[in-house]
Amino acid sequence: MIPAYYEFSNHAKVLSGENAVENIAYELKVLEATHPLVVTNRQLRDLGLVDIVLRALADGGIDVCVIYDAVPVDSSVDVVNDLAKTYRKTGCDAIIAVGGGSVLDTAKGANIVLTTGSTDIKEFMGSEVITARAMVPFIAVPTTAGTGSEVTGAAVIKDTERHVKMGFVSYLLLPDVAVLDPRMTEGLPPRLTASTGLDALTHAVEAFSCRQANPLSDGYARAAIDLIREYLVKTLEDGQDRTARLAMANAAMLAGVSFSNAMVGIVHAIGHACGGQCSVAHGDAMGILLPYGMEYNMDVAGERYGELLLHLKGAEVYASTPAAERPRVAVEAVRELLGDAARRAGMPMRLSQVGVTEADLPAIAATAINDGAMSLNPKDADVSDILGILRAAL
Amino acid sequence: MKTDVRLVPGPAKRTKRIVAGVVFAVMGRGLVACARLDGRVRAEAGSWPEGTAITLAISPGSPRVTVRKQDGRLHTLGSRADVPSTLLVTFKSVDSALPVLLGMKGILEAFAEHRATVKGDLGIAMSLVRCLHIVEGYLYPDIMTRRILPRPAVREAGHLRAYAGLLGTAANLGEKGAGL
Repeated sequence: MIPAYYEFSNHAKVLSGENAVENIAYELKVLEATHPLVVTNRQLRDLGLVDIVLRALADGGIDVCVIYDAVPVDSSVDVVNDLAKTYRKTGCDAIIAVGGGSVLDTAKGANIVLTTGSTDIKEFMGSEVITARAMVPFIAVPTTAGTGSEVTGAAVIKDTERHVKMGFVSYLLLPDVAVLDPRMTEGLPPRLTASTGLDALTHAVEAFSCRQANPLSDGYARAAIDLIREYLVKTLEDGQDRTARLAMANAAMLAGVSFSNAMVGIVHAIGHACGGQCSVAHGDAMGILLPYGMEYNMDVAGERYGELLLHLKGAEVYASTPAAERPRVAVEAVRELLGDAARRAGMPMRLSQVGVTEADLPAIAATAINDGAMSLNPKDADVSDILGILRAAL
Repeated sequence: MKTDVRLVPGPAKRTKRIVAGVVFAVMGRGLVACARLDGRVRAEAGSWPEGTAITLAISPGSPRVTVRKQDGRLHTLGSRADVPSTLLVTFKSVDSALPVLLGMKGILEAFAEHRATVKGDLGIAMSLVRCLHIVEGYLYPDIMTRRILPRPAVREAGHLRAYAGLLGTAANLGEKGAGL
């Protein structure tokens, strides 16, 4: 399949491997920066993950840095603007974000404010509206293997006044460097490992089947699913398996590159709404909703799902499954993976297990219909379609 | 060697811009008319905050059209709006815009192909897209809508009423809005 027109960008340099963090100081020199602002949260400092980065900076000859560890679970406008103010006040010349999606998105938001000389991130809400010759040097060190935010041109930031999550999309948001070091994820508990891993799987599956899919994003999605098939369960069995951890970090990164360019669809739209309305953890929502979203899209995206069977189950199963059966078996494979995650890590398999009730569904559907991800789903959906998916997953 | 060469768009490009300007005007008036004729557009626009100003434009410069919600009604402000846009949809070039404006390419497909940028609340942008799908259902015949709309067009009023409403809106440009 070749789209009539597509765009693709991934200019983040990826450092992947044992001790990759040790090379951050060198990358700062390449970016001509000497005084970085390290953005993170208190929990990650307490866990000692930030110390790994700080020691590596010191060993690499970086004498001074500023630490901003006040990023909350949900990135917000106030925190983004405050972070930008701190950066200016302290005369920093680069940002190092150490954390999960919220920390990385906060750093991206602050980078917009800093680069444009603004004071309020809200001015830049939207898609592809940021213009700049160059952004503030930005290095991302993910501490989960799921969001892929270290290689995406998107950020989600909460407007605390209006209680809505705002989307910011621009290729300029891509970090300069993404650092995948297994030390940063080996302490993740199994439950979070499963949840974030299924988030990465959802990125890959949706990116592969969305309206904006293209040959380059397809390649990244296929590679991501291959790694998830082989390593997600291994990380659940042994969290200290650094090879598996590194592989899952790569899977999340690859899926991130894919969906940054192909975008995501109905599963993310509904998942975002579940998060906003009922505080369902994003990865949990993704794992629960993915098979139902695939079933909804089946009549228009079935062929694409059939192609993914090769990556979800491997060559033997793919070859021995009749072509007409592959889409259905691909959905079964996703359910199997979710079942594995449920048995080994206690992943929920239904929305009712994460606190969603029948009474919540109309509000979730009304929110999901206005989520930007809905526009790129391969199949159109209205509120009643979304309610159907929600009821099936309840 | 010549420096600072002045670059002027060719006649074909100027013609395309004129065509785009006309279609933008029709789209703006169509949106206002549909807010009066069609309950679905009325409901969508009813959810927009008072003062919402939506602009469809082509970069760089004109043509453009702005529709504003004021006193609970939609008004088209034409191409010379002096109000800041709360939602600005900008096609990257006239060539990016024309296939969409002439009903040869769907709006969702256009977004998937990065033909336009969106500045503002993406939630309102989603609502606008649903409205424009309904407007296209009135403006274009089924032979075109089958190709560009995600679902077969459903009309709560006939084409003729829509065209009459559109002309009515044109006649009262900027004066009478469509009640929500």
